[in-house]
Amino acid sequence: MSAAEGPVVFDPDDFGAIPTSRALRQWMRTTRRRHADRSFWQVFEDAYLVIFTLAILGATGGNVVHHLNTNAASCTSFTCGELSVWTPWIVVPLLLATTLRVLLSVGPVSASQATGFWLLATPVNRAALLRPTYRLVMGVVAVVGFVASAIIWALLGSRFVDVLEVSALIGVLLVCVGTVTVWAQQTAGRSRWALRVADLLLVAAVIPAVALALQRRSVQGADTFSNVVVASTSVGSQSYPTIGRFADHPVTSGPALLVSAEQTRLLVILVVAVVLCVALVVVTSRTLDKLTRTTVIAGGELLAGLAGAASSLDISMLADVVSGRHWRLKGRVRSRRGRGSRGSALVQREFLRILRWPRRLVIGFALLVVPYAVSGAGFDVLVPIAAGFAGFVAVRPLMDGLRSVCRSTGLVRALGMDLRELRVIMAVVPAGFAALWSLLASPAIGNGPATFAVAAGMLAGAVRQASARPPSYSGPLVASPMGAIPPGLFSQPMRGFDLLLLCLAPVLLGISSTWVLAVPTFVLAIMFAVRPKTA
Amino acid sequence: MSKARSRAAARLAVTDLQHKYGDRPVIEGLTFTLSAGQAIALVGPNGAGKTTVLKCIVGSAEPAAGKILLDGLPIDERAETVRRDVATLLDDLDFFPDLTAAEHLDLLARAHGNAEPEDLVDTLLDDIGLLPAADQLPGSLSSGQRRRLALATALVRPRKLMVLDEPEARLDVGGVQWLSDRLIEEKKSGTSILFASHDPALVEAVADSVVTLTPLP
Repeated sequence: MSAAEGPVVFDPDDFGAIPTSRALRQWMRTTRRRHADRSFWQVFEDAYLVIFTLAILGATGGNVVHHLNTNAASCTSFTCGELSVWTPWIVVPLLLATTLRVLLSVGPVSASQATGFWLLATPVNRAALLRPTYRLVMGVVAVVGFVASAIIWALLGSRFVDVLEVSALIGVLLVCVGTVTVWAQQTAGRSRWALRVADLLLVAAVIPAVALALQRRSVQGADTFSNVVVASTSVGSQSYPTIGRFADHPVTSGPALLVSAEQTRLLVILVVAVVLCVALVVVTSRTLDKLTRTTVIAGGELLAGLAGAASSLDISMLADVVSGRHWRLKGRVRSRRGRGSRGSALVQREFLRILRWPRRLVIGFALLVVPYAVSGAGFDVLVPIAAGFAGFVAVRPLMDGLRSVCRSTGLVRALGMDLRELRVIMAVVPAGFAALWSLLASPAIGNGPATFAVAAGMLAGAVRQASARPPSYSGPLVASPMGAIPPGLFSQPMRGFDLLLLCLAPVLLGISSTWVLAVPTFVLAIMFAVRPKTA
Repeated sequence: MSKARSRAAARLAVTDLQHKYGDRPVIEGLTFTLSAGQAIALVGPNGAGKTTVLKCIVGSAEPAAGKILLDGLPIDERAETVRRDVATLLDDLDFFPDLTAAEHLDLLARAHGNAEPEDLVDTLLDDIGLLPAADQLPGSLSSGQRRRLALATALVRPRKLMVLDEPEARLDVGGVQWLSDRLIEEKKSGTSILFASHDPALVEAVADSVVTLTPLP
């Protein structure tokens, strides 16, 4: 219609039948191909590079796991026995809780804002539009669950058949959890319940970890035998025979092996697992039209934010995305007046801020179980490093305030303080937490200087990571196979962990207590003296 | 009044300011002085360098040449006097995601040494139209409400100089009128104001002088 003929008038006859989702996707694919700016050969090169990298990593990782499996299988010590008994009870609920939480954060069914705006608002069948994403998510859950449990059970020294069997079962279990999250995504009430179940599962994972820690303490209290002596004479009535290993059960031994009862059982389990997974996914995919556009887009936005942060290899930014979403969803809280003025007001506000999200404190204190569990398992030499990393994970989320001021020069100006001064003030409350956490972990860590090193390491590392500037693409760039990248991009993920390791180095190297105290003190002094660079 | 005496009385003196992005000059030879209780508006099309001038003054950008003096001393954003006396509103202000609007103002007032800011905060929230949103977190505020909160952060603290970049942006008609009245009051109380704006009515109502910037070729 030309402009001269008047305005465009809606005429129902202009519109035919609603297209199917398949037809719409096909049309989009065709259109996108028309806009493609890379040749088939370039795409092929990229795909080849990815596959080759994965193959190399898989082969190397597989070899390492195979060796560790062989070592673990021949281990008859008390430690190995305890680990093989308790680890499954920790790992399974932990995997289930993590799957529930992660899937509910991203949806599990998600779509980009563009898809939400342009496609989900149309009368095209929504379930059919979302089905490919849903299948992809379930596929990823199954594969990740399978691989993660295969690695864990292999590291425990289990036989190949057992590893396969357990991995298949856990993979199915996680897919079941995935389908539950689709059901939970449909209403806010169900989501809340699913999150409560995830919390219960976390508690369920902590209980055996505590039991493992206490077991070791009670054994240590009963007698002072070394690990090897205890193992060789068995503990009480319990003995720990050699478990088995991959090499004892080669997979490529020919068809004769397949006739064994064990192999048949494995085959049946695998077939049932696959059938069950497919059936569950098919049944639940019919309910995808019950999902609201808001919940689907929210997950897509989170994924887009996480992808952006991941591309800059910035762990802090990943945490920002998650925490930003938490507060956006919360929306409104009761304001609390502060106390004092200047530095003391900021310290008091930091304290109130941390109390505002108590789950982080609970998780932080729950992580105390890590050094005790490592000690309980008999790996005494690893306790300081395990405590350091667990403490780092516990204390880092308490530094959101510092993170905010380091990202915004405007906020620093509004507060009227120097950023160096602000960094010290905002680290006061997390430092108190770090001190308390380390004191509570000190029975596992062993001695005072090492406890100090752990506290200083977790604080220094967390402060360094929280005050990290995002990589700047506006300055000089370095050519790389990934395109132009800012120098220092690859050191970004190590930021924070470097200071943690530096503080713990004297403990790990077993040098004198003077150095164990001096190095972390020096690190803290230098770190707080240097003015951080702003974004 | 002699030139020397005029400089001594000036709260802010900018002399022959130059700034470049790479090799491209953005500002060349900008000179002006701002006295106590006076307001200067920077006007000009997009890309003329208004925000860059403000950034140079608050220390977010490094001038290629020229002098910027605050109360006769070279301005240095690290100096305590600058942090204490200069209230800013630029586009680099972000908020704590987990503090409410009221808590932001309470914290800022306390950080500047006001140990009893309750009345000030309540009055300001009411004044700026944020009282119903006092308990809201920044992520749930509308863009206009966020702008009002940003303005409030400049008003809840002591100040001798206000540096504002398009303070009228995203405000409704009533909000712009309130802003205009408020800035006039600020001038009466002796605060100097340097602001960039695209709103002729606001410039007309508030500014004592206008500096027009044009994009350099």
